[in-house]
Amino acid sequence: MAHTLPSSDQSSDQDKWDSGGLECKGQLLIKIVMRNRLTALVVDGDTTCWVLEQELLHSYGVQTLGVDNSRDAVDLIASDAEFNLIIIEKILPVLNGLEVTRQICEIGVRCKMLEVTACSGESERQAFLAFGVDVFIEKPLDPEHLVPILRELDGQ
Amino acid sequence: MDLAALKTQLKNFVQSMFEEGVLDNQFSQIQALQDSTNPNFVEEVITLFCNDAERIINEINRNLGYQNVDFSNLDSYVHQLKGSSSSIGANRLKLACANLRQASDERNKEGCLQALQLITCEYCLLRRKFQALLHLERSIVELETNQK
Repeated sequence: MAHTLPSSDQSSDQDKWDSGGLECKGQLLIKIVMRNRLTALVVDGDTTCWVLEQELLHSYGVQTLGVDNSRDAVDLIASDAEFNLIIIEKILPVLNGLEVTRQICEIGVRCKMLEVTACSGESERQAFLAFGVDVFIEKPLDPEHLVPILRELDGQ
Repeated sequence: MDLAALKTQLKNFVQSMFEEGVLDNQFSQIQALQDSTNPNFVEEVITLFCNDAERIINEINRNLGYQNVDFSNLDSYVHQLKGSSSSIGANRLKLACANLRQASDERNKEGCLQALQLITCEYCLLRRKFQALLHLERSIVELETNQK
């Protein structure tokens, strides 16, 4: 089952976007101005985590979709849904994150892939990188890690 | 109590949670995500987290009650709890999860039970403090609404 954000004011977000910049939501978030409208898919079986990750992405103007299991993620990608960024957790319902990554890469997806996970060993980290993950981050996903990636995707 | 005093009380209460190590800077990031377009974000996240954490702790408890513990199943639950704890900034709970993870890796059932006790204590402490925090937040919102 795919999910959208649990709460969002679409019209006010559109106004913020159309004004050519992003309203800074708080002093702690690193300020950036995005030139393009990016899209992201968050794949995480834990509700708290994907709500937070989606809201963080949303605060930077990234249009996000969240799914809570690997099967929905693969089906979405296989149906030609396109994203600039895919964020995957290692342990997921149905298939594990490594298998999902492999299947997504086999479909031919070429976008930035981030593994964001609670804990992992070096061998698992290397396995994910070998399968096509671009960046491996230990939770939580924070602006310090996310902003450079968004800037790169935005061509800054 | 007036609005300014309530806000100071909330700020000091959250600060005390940082100083005690109950919360870390990640919680500040969550507070920063709350604004007029998403005014109840902190409460929503805390509620989601507590519901999930209680469910997971109960599952871990149930798993450890079996004579033959399925440690790979246990790993998944610990991983999930550590992830959500990290994401909400629940620092001491996150550290307690690391203890359980280690005991589970060692297939040490007794160690897991001890670690679970600590997790349960840390979670109960966190939940009490979150309840107090949300009570203060609601009081502030109520006062602000009445003043408009």
